[in-house]
Amino acid sequence: MSGDRAEFEKFLGLSEVLTGFTKFRLQGTGQGALYFSTLTDVVGQGTAGELLQAWSGVAAAAGQDEGKLERLMRSEILSHEKLGPIARNLIKLWFVGTWYQLPAAWREVFGTPERDRSFVPAASSYVEGLLWPTIGANPTGAKGPGYGTWADPPNIPKV
Amino acid sequence: MGLSRITSVEELHRHLYAALQLEHATIPAYLTALYSIHPGTNTEAVHILRAVAVEEMLHLTLAANILNAVGGTPDLTRPDFVPVFPTFLPDGETDFEVGLQRFSKEALATFLKIERPGHAPEGAPRTVRRPKKPGKSVLHASHTGKDAEEHFYSIGEFYDEISRSLATLHEDLSHQGRTLFVGDPARQITPEFYYSGGGELIAVTDLASAQAAIRLISEQGEGKGKAIFDYEGELSHYYRFEQLLLGRYYQTGDKAGHPTGAPIAVDWKSVYPIKANARLSDYAEGSELREAAFEFNRSYRDLLEMLTRAFTGEPRLLTAAVGDMFRIKELFLRLMRNPMDGTGTLHAAPPFEIASVTEVRK
Amino acid sequence: MSHLSSRISRTDHASASTQIYDAVIVGSGVAGSILANELGRQGFSVLVLEAGPGNDLSIAEYEASVERFYLSASKDNNSPYAVNRNAPMPRGQETVKLQPGRPNADGYIVQNGPLELDSTYTRVVGGTTRHWEGKALRLIPEDFEMRTRHGQGLDWPLKYETLKSYYAKAEAEIGVSADVEDQGYLGISFEPGYVYPMRKIPISYLDQVIGKNLDGAKVELDGETFSLVVRSTPQARNGVPHPGYDNGKGYVAPSAVSTHQDEMGQRCQGNNNCVPICPVQAKYDARRTLVKALETGRVHLLSQTVVSRVHIDSGNGRVTHIEYKAYKDLHGKEHSAGTVKARVFILAANAVENARLMLASGLPGSSGLVGRNLMDHAYLLTWALMPEIVGTMRGSQCTSGIEELRGGAFRRKQAAFRAGIHNDGWGWATGAPYTDLLALVDDQNKFGRALQRGLVDRISRQLLLDFMVEVLPDPANRITVDPDHRDQLGNMRPVLSYRLNDYTLDGVAFARQLSRRIYQRLGAEDHTTYSPQEPGWVDYQGGGFVIRGGNHWAGTHLMGSSPKNSVVDANQRSWDYPNLYLAGSGSMPSIGTANTTLTLAALCLISAGHIAKELRSAPTAAAAR
Ligand SMILES: Cc1cc2nc3c(=O)[nH]c(=O)nc-3n(C[C@H](O)[C@H](O)[C@H](O)COP(=O)(O)OP(=O)(O)OC[C@H]3O[C@@H](n4cnc5c(N)ncnc54)[C@H](O)[C@@H]3O)c2cc1C
Ligand code: SF4
Repeated sequence: MSGDRAEFEKFLGLSEVLTGFTKFRLQGTGQGALYFSTLTDVVGQGTAGELLQAWSGVAAAAGQDEGKLERLMRSEILSHEKLGPIARNLIKLWFVGTWYQLPAAWREVFGTPERDRSFVPAASSYVEGLLWPTIGANPTGAKGPGYGTWADPPNIPKV
Repeated sequence: MGLSRITSVEELHRHLYAALQLEHATIPAYLTALYSIHPGTNTEAVHILRAVAVEEMLHLTLAANILNAVGGTPDLTRPDFVPVFPTFLPDGETDFEVGLQRFSKEALATFLKIERPGHAPEGAPRTVRRPKKPGKSVLHASHTGKDAEEHFYSIGEFYDEISRSLATLHEDLSHQGRTLFVGDPARQITPEFYYSGGGELIAVTDLASAQAAIRLISEQGEGKGKAIFDYEGELSHYYRFEQLLLGRYYQTGDKAGHPTGAPIAVDWKSVYPIKANARLSDYAEGSELREAAFEFNRSYRDLLEMLTRAFTGEPRLLTAAVGDMFRIKELFLRLMRNPMDGTGTLHAAPPFEIASVTEVRK
Repeated sequence: MSHLSSRISRTDHASASTQIYDAVIVGSGVAGSILANELGRQGFSVLVLEAGPGNDLSIAEYEASVERFYLSASKDNNSPYAVNRNAPMPRGQETVKLQPGRPNADGYIVQNGPLELDSTYTRVVGGTTRHWEGKALRLIPEDFEMRTRHGQGLDWPLKYETLKSYYAKAEAEIGVSADVEDQGYLGISFEPGYVYPMRKIPISYLDQVIGKNLDGAKVELDGETFSLVVRSTPQARNGVPHPGYDNGKGYVAPSAVSTHQDEMGQRCQGNNNCVPICPVQAKYDARRTLVKALETGRVHLLSQTVVSRVHIDSGNGRVTHIEYKAYKDLHGKEHSAGTVKARVFILAANAVENARLMLASGLPGSSGLVGRNLMDHAYLLTWALMPEIVGTMRGSQCTSGIEELRGGAFRRKQAAFRAGIHNDGWGWATGAPYTDLLALVDDQNKFGRALQRGLVDRISRQLLLDFMVEVLPDPANRITVDPDHRDQLGNMRPVLSYRLNDYTLDGVAFARQLSRRIYQRLGAEDHTTYSPQEPGWVDYQGGGFVIRGGNHWAGTHLMGSSPKNSVVDANQRSWDYPNLYLAGSGSMPSIGTANTTLTLAALCLISAGHIAKELRSAPTAAAAR
């Protein structure tokens, strides 16, 4: 496995935990590679690497222990001054296909990367947002579910 | 007996069932090519493939209407209804197989063969007999014996024969004071339940409406004679596909093979490298891919069941079936976007093995 | 190149300026397109001048709009349409809180206040129907006789009975789905045997749940008792054609524009995105009618052509010609000016732009009423969480409403209203579902499966009721122009002054009260809050509400019985200039509680008949020269 490939696998692993969707579902959006490059493009290789390294540490320490995984995610990543906001941005990216500009507090301390503004990486990023299947709906303006389907009770996947 | 001259109502039923199979069999092939295209790319190809696939759905529904009208029963859940791909279709001057493959020049070449216009040369036999190939699935309706099958020169010839027999059987029965059109009109799918820009659905209740339905199916497919536009001013499937290979749209007044309309850009690389004719067995037991592929097969089976119910007295269910199709598209895309291994050079694809589902259920 | 090119006849500015058309129409929205189609079909030569872009009506262009919407991080209701500095349009986010006495000139419309109004429209080929929602309700008979019946507002010079057959024609033209059995309330009647072109759009699961708990609820108002029902809303989107339409001839659902060998314009698929753009063209937009017009071969279209002035012959009071500026692209100000001539001139640029153009041409009308009496529905939004999962965010934006309080004796004291039940959740009020995601991730620290559960809990129970409250004509509510505020081409921008009176606010307050009772009855958690910091805030009896715009601009050239009390007559002909027509919702003397488009379409069908008659009897083009 090449270095990039290994980093990408880590990225998918972290994304699984952040979103609660399996790698298959994440890849099924067709956005994986684009989001990985969005991350590195916006915050830079170095910072992205820090995030993925922190994730590797968490994954290794937690093993199969889900409770521990959740605690470590919070203590090592989500509450981390630098990495937390980036991890939250990844969640948003997967769910609605938008990279939101990082919070002002983050930008004051860690700098203002040139590409860090609110944007949608590709039209398909919006269409493939995971928020919509989560609530048993289609992204508004795409993937229309078919005439009359709205008259039936919703089909919301069990979590 | 094969798919040749139709002399009885039973044979007509069998041929119409073959028509259902035929119209359906193209759909997985067209959809596989369509959905393998990267989102946001190849807009023209996407439009053309989608339009054709939607019209095949219309044809399937029309064939069901005709079969219902003459007292048959459209059953899309019969174990042999969906062929195992790659498969032969009952039209072949030379043999060709239809497989499930990514959008490519090869795929289009096959599609052109499927929709090939044309009639057998004067005096030549309108059917082609050929040896059965072991291990290859063929449409059941074309079996002529243990090791031979009979095929029409083209889909056009096939529908011509159905059309001819509708007329003669109708006349024969009328002379006896009976009617060919004994089906329950309530089983007809009317425009109320299904419509699209690609043509109006025709409810079939008599000879005229049956012939109109046949005409719509065959002219939308391969065109009429040498005309590239059909009687509704629509370009037939053959020429629509051909545009992609020739890189140009046809416009009115053009001659076959020489489109002069706007250029079409095709990006053959913006396509997922999916496995051709994927099988469930291509995916490791217990893997997520396997589960998803199985889930696909099951959903597709459910769709066929729903369609069968819609075609046998519950036309309202067609709406729900359309909803199912949108969901199936999602499953389709999810598989195709997933690499089958670490390298990402080969992607997954839906297997369309309906039999696998039935087996598990038993 | 589009596939239309073979069927339509095209022109350019140079040749158009050498011709005398039977009619020149300003604007290719639903008003302009209907007039062009009717006149073209009857053999008249027509030129349509359209300020916005989109000459080729191609699928690629349409898809570019859909893609622009996907790619936009804000997704406001004009997000599919490119920023155009030569024919600018209002965008919702331009409406900000006003400082007393200080106008906001930052957006396209200069807002004077005192009340901010966030209504918009679209300046592209096809006009505002490109992003309209497609609700197609008729006005009720009493709306036409407000003064006589309720002592409020103005009477029309027409009655419902006169409009009835035109409503039916308009419903065919824009393709309305509804069941007659549901729609005959409060005096609405239909021609004998009438059925809508298509059957009603199925009502959403959410509507059904609400109906089950709400139908039959009693409301007392001004001594009358109203019994509420959840009723399906007529909509201009493709449904199931009614086999009984037109005495059993049936109805062929209109198909899409610019399809180029693709399937579009099928039944509504529930993309839930009619505003701002339907990705499959299941919803009517005026390009459908425009294409029919162009296909007559007698109608020409020039886009990217902004009409800047109407010229009058001071001797005979007739319009002599119209002046325009045609620009090259959406950004640079490079343009060429020109004029066009016709026997009849029709302004169909919408209620704001018609008034703006008249005033910019120095034509306030002998009554001084041009631009005045601006109306728009006042929307009060209320929102709640249902006690159970109802699957919000599915279907078209609204499939049902509550209509009982659209009419009644109470209208002598307070405004009528209807309520729309929203399938798209709290989006309009709060920015859901995006804001819900942000709150869960940023504030509630959810991730993984807990986040998924949180999303379902927070979004799939959402219910929003929009109360669309009647607004009466008030001469102080108006569009004006000001030489200090111009766009890039030098055209004066519209300046808006707007306020709401107690008649409307009493209706608003009653609606808010009713919404509380509805939520109590449904067991829904009321999450509605209004802040004085938001634009649209109005004080009311120590509290207040936030009022949102309805996008139903009307009244700016209202019709009446005499040149003293109105700008146009019942045919939308200008009282002052006999070969000038002002078409659209600007002609409406009241807006009741129906979205304006169906009614303005019906009015334009009346005008088309009248104009055709005039053109036939009047001197020929040569004589007019
Ligand atoms: C978000 C939204 C939702 C809506 N929902 C509904 C609904 O559900 N039901 C309903 O009935 N109504 C609805 N409406 C209102 C509806 O869209 C309008 O009533 C209708 O489109 C008006 O049609 P029109 O032809 O009069 O004007 P427009 O559609 O605005 O067309 C006017 C045209 O004139 C052009 N023009 C303007 N100025 C010039 C100029 N100087 N020179 C040349 N051309 C010019 C414009 O570019 C435009 O194309 C909605 C509106 C919005 C914004
Ligand atoms: S709900 Fe969707 S498919 Fe239906 S009209 Fe609206 S945008 Fe189009």
